[in-house]
Amino acid sequence: MMDFLAAAIRIATPLLLAALGGILSERAGVFAVGLEGMMLAGAFAAAVAAWATDSFLGGILAALAGGALVGVMVAVVVVRFRADNMVTGIAANILVVGLTSYLLRAAGRGGRPPSIHLTPLPDWPIPLLADIPVLGPLLFDHPPLTYLAAVGCVAMAFFLARTQTGLTLRATGENPEAVFASGGNPKLVRMLAVVACGGIAGLGGAVLTLQQVGTFTDGMTGGRGYLALASLIVGRWTPWGAALACLVFGAADAFGLRLQAFGVPASSYVLQMAPYVIALLVLATLGRATRLPAAIGRPMD
Amino acid sequence: MSLPSRIALAVALSLVCAALLIALSGHDPFSAFAAMAEGALGSPHQVGVALNKTTPYLLAGGGVALCFRAGVINIGAEGQIALGGCGTAATALAWPIEAPLPAILLALAGGALVGAAWAALAAAIHLGRQVHEVLVTLLLNFVALLLVQQALAGPLGEFGAGFLQSPRMPAAVWLPRAIPGLDAHPGFFVAVVVAAGLSFLLWRTRFGFAIRVAGASRPAAAYAGFSVARLTWGVMLLSGALAGLAGGIEVLGVQRRLIEGFSLGFGFKAVTVALLGALEPLAVVPAALFVGMLEAGALSMQRQVGVPSSLVAVIEGLTMLFVLAATVRRRAA
Amino acid sequence: MRGIVRCFGAVRANDGIDLQVAAGRIVGLLGENGSGKSTLMKVLFGMVPPDEGTIIFNGRELSGHRPAEAMQAGLAMIHQHFMLIEAMSVVENVMLGWPAAGRWLKRARVGQQIREASARFGLDLDPDARVADLPLGRRQRIEILKAILRGADLLILDEPTSNLAPAEVAGLLAILRRLREEGRGIVFITHKLPEVLEVCDEVVVLRAGRVAGRAPVAGVSRAALAEMMVGRDTTTPHVPDARPPGAPRLVVRDLRGPGLDGIDFAVHGGEILGVAGVDGNGQLELADTLAGLRGATGTIALEGTDVSRASVAERMRAGLAYLPADRARTSLVRSMSIADNFFLRDTDAFLLHPAARAAHAAALMATYDVRAPGPQAVVARLSGGNAQKIVVARELDRAPGVVIAHQAAWGLDPGATRFVLDRIVDLRNRGAAVLYISSELEEVMAISDRVAVLFGGRFAGVVPRATADLGRIGLWMAGQA
Repeated sequence: MMDFLAAAIRIATPLLLAALGGILSERAGVFAVGLEGMMLAGAFAAAVAAWATDSFLGGILAALAGGALVGVMVAVVVVRFRADNMVTGIAANILVVGLTSYLLRAAGRGGRPPSIHLTPLPDWPIPLLADIPVLGPLLFDHPPLTYLAAVGCVAMAFFLARTQTGLTLRATGENPEAVFASGGNPKLVRMLAVVACGGIAGLGGAVLTLQQVGTFTDGMTGGRGYLALASLIVGRWTPWGAALACLVFGAADAFGLRLQAFGVPASSYVLQMAPYVIALLVLATLGRATRLPAAIGRPMD
Repeated sequence: MSLPSRIALAVALSLVCAALLIALSGHDPFSAFAAMAEGALGSPHQVGVALNKTTPYLLAGGGVALCFRAGVINIGAEGQIALGGCGTAATALAWPIEAPLPAILLALAGGALVGAAWAALAAAIHLGRQVHEVLVTLLLNFVALLLVQQALAGPLGEFGAGFLQSPRMPAAVWLPRAIPGLDAHPGFFVAVVVAAGLSFLLWRTRFGFAIRVAGASRPAAAYAGFSVARLTWGVMLLSGALAGLAGGIEVLGVQRRLIEGFSLGFGFKAVTVALLGALEPLAVVPAALFVGMLEAGALSMQRQVGVPSSLVAVIEGLTMLFVLAATVRRRAA
Repeated sequence: MRGIVRCFGAVRANDGIDLQVAAGRIVGLLGENGSGKSTLMKVLFGMVPPDEGTIIFNGRELSGHRPAEAMQAGLAMIHQHFMLIEAMSVVENVMLGWPAAGRWLKRARVGQQIREASARFGLDLDPDARVADLPLGRRQRIEILKAILRGADLLILDEPTSNLAPAEVAGLLAILRRLREEGRGIVFITHKLPEVLEVCDEVVVLRAGRVAGRAPVAGVSRAALAEMMVGRDTTTPHVPDARPPGAPRLVVRDLRGPGLDGIDFAVHGGEILGVAGVDGNGQLELADTLAGLRGATGTIALEGTDVSRASVAERMRAGLAYLPADRARTSLVRSMSIADNFFLRDTDAFLLHPAARAAHAAALMATYDVRAPGPQAVVARLSGGNAQKIVVARELDRAPGVVIAHQAAWGLDPGATRFVLDRIVDLRNRGAAVLYISSELEEVMAISDRVAVLFGGRFAGVVPRATADLGRIGLWMAGQA
């Protein structure tokens, strides 16, 4: 059981980081459909940088930069050129898949990708806390990026509710004209929010390469970005809600893996569908109840 | 600057970026592009291959363009195409017919039906439960691809094959070669006719007018007496059927069996092509040809010059972004 | 402000305007719709840059500035369409963009300041209330509160009474007088003469982008001001001659739904039933429900047939015409051509015939004097007046039996207003039944045969115009029968 929960947390971590970034973007009024590409860019940058510089910190910084770069692209096209949020996000995702695949091969010799084999980041047990029976290993014995995700969740909740910048960001998503009339710069707020979204989502991708798999393969995010988007909507655009939703999706995935491990004759393909189906079910159940930021997706003058 | 020239500029920009990327990896852009062109157009056989590649993008792209025009951001072509191919294979295997034409028509109809049904599911969730259509169609894509894998692992699979694929389609359903010497099946020409039909629908019928109004302003569409719900059903069913048809043609015309992952990326390329064609079905024809030729030439470019074929995806993504930036429709302010 | 010029395309919205406001004075900026008052103040506040001219505030020049700098200099603007975040509370709205609220928001302290200022000026605002829950009159006070807390020296109020009931208007004017006593300056933009006379110290009249006259309020006559506003002798509004109404063509019984709390009425052929009332009391719900855009319980009978469950298209075919208030997104598709908009609601042919449409469109344009390059011109490029003419032409040209007009002349310049009202009266003279909904009481009083007042989703009262008493109507509008 503890193993199962720990697995759920493990699976949920990249989702949560991506969802946190997505919350910034969506609360400011830009649909975060590009999360998939931002995660993938971060995963790629992390893997290549860690391999090239032999340092995890380098990988993490590169993940931030890679994701942020995708954020810049989306921000410019959506805010400056006022293009449709959704389609721009899809376009960015397509681009990143191709670009990461291309650059990976271009970085290697003779058009073949370099073999990147990183040792995944080890667990960092927190002294004292990790010794608590039962809860200790479950909550306080994780690799560093998982702690980062948890801290990020708390920090973002605080940022949104208690700071002037957070207030301005939320207001931009509700009524950008009011922000302008109050002396703010809603376009700048939106652009910064999308770039920040990219960086944080990039960290989510870094979790995959640095903390879980240890290498980069084409398109390795496999739809996690879209799951993160679903989870932030299910979580009502709040950090805590998104965290809960990510855990639910993580548990669904973990459950499927457990079933397979126990040799239950359930097809692996059907089990792999579980997170997506659950996301759809939850979204469908919430249906009308979802209250988006009022001005989301609407371009400004 | 007019719309076509802005799109041309966007394409040119993305090609320039691609050239830069090629140079970055130490190759010569000009020979890379030349190899690509030769791979696409070098011989009648190559041209046929390019036309075959273009067909699914054209068919599905037309449907997607229609949806986008109505303001329905349907990204589900990926799943609809895959399931359509699955449906065609299943129909052909389950109900074999001797005579080629009825056999082909039946199999393709099966594919179109399955594609339309999958789109209908998305429409039902979107309209019935108010979930954004982008999320629904996207998530359903993953489910669809897994369903196809499941089918191939089960009833539709070929026993004993090393990987997931169906048995060979009966010879009756194989699509013939359209023009002797040209290795293209008739799919491309059918797709062009369909595109013309879609354009006529969009500009010369009340249904098309309703689509355009709904895409410009939902309140205006309701005021004009159109039911936005019915319009959504209409465009989703139509585009789902076209996507399913695209999948079926791919199965019957190219591989002659259903192979796992046969249509990976087709759906997103359909979106690219729809955007490149500025959501005008007739303009989607040259847009699809452009992408089809890029792909046909990509392998040749990789073989001859050593530039990875994933560059094509980069060009497509960049083109989409530049086109999006260049062709903003000013919605009703 | 000296020599301010601002052009929007070919239109000179402001054409060489000079304006001076001293401390402790309320200056009324009076003008019809389209005279340039809002533009002038947007220039002052920095929302729109002037093409020419200078602005000197408190001795310093303001140029190339945006609202942020304007606010720092001591200017505050209370907008006609409130710039508030509905989903947030009062205190959050006040803290938005206010550096003094701190990087880490000092919610409690600001809340206290709100309570103090609210008490001092009689604003009656609760810091933790959600804006979406407050009535429009209170919401406006949030904007005033923001101005006070930020120490504004000059407040600009843009059509502040357009969303207020008469009782709330009195409250607002009292607040303005208190602000004046404190030594602040106020610019009061309006097109309503009585308000200017009641609270302003001096008045500047704008017409067609220029200053048509200035005067201290003491000693100026209403007629003189009206003449400055309109440029000619104030024409008596076209009062339709009384005639006996025909058979009831639109009968509504017990209409209930969101925003509607039991409405009963009938409109007869050859009659205009005017619906007055402050915007936001159910006008939009009523109009949309009658047209078929919203659902409600109750019965609606059109020409004797029950259309309560009928679709928009079916009601159109039964002879119902609808001029919606929202011209930007509902009655017109701005990105499409004039011809396309003319035939927006045509429910017949499956196939379209562009050539025939274009010819028909050109004919309509000529009849209704729509000024545009041609039927293929895009509606977004037309002026408000011309755009509304398209709607009027489309809806009224097919001689409907019943017309629902909602804010049909809102925001139009006097010429276009006259045109629209003339067409509606004309239809009424030929036997149509008209429901004329408007927040401009004078307009309603001018053309209606009977006047109803909508408050809180029901009719507070219905009277024939001849016996209508403005005092009673004012009470109805405020909800005090």
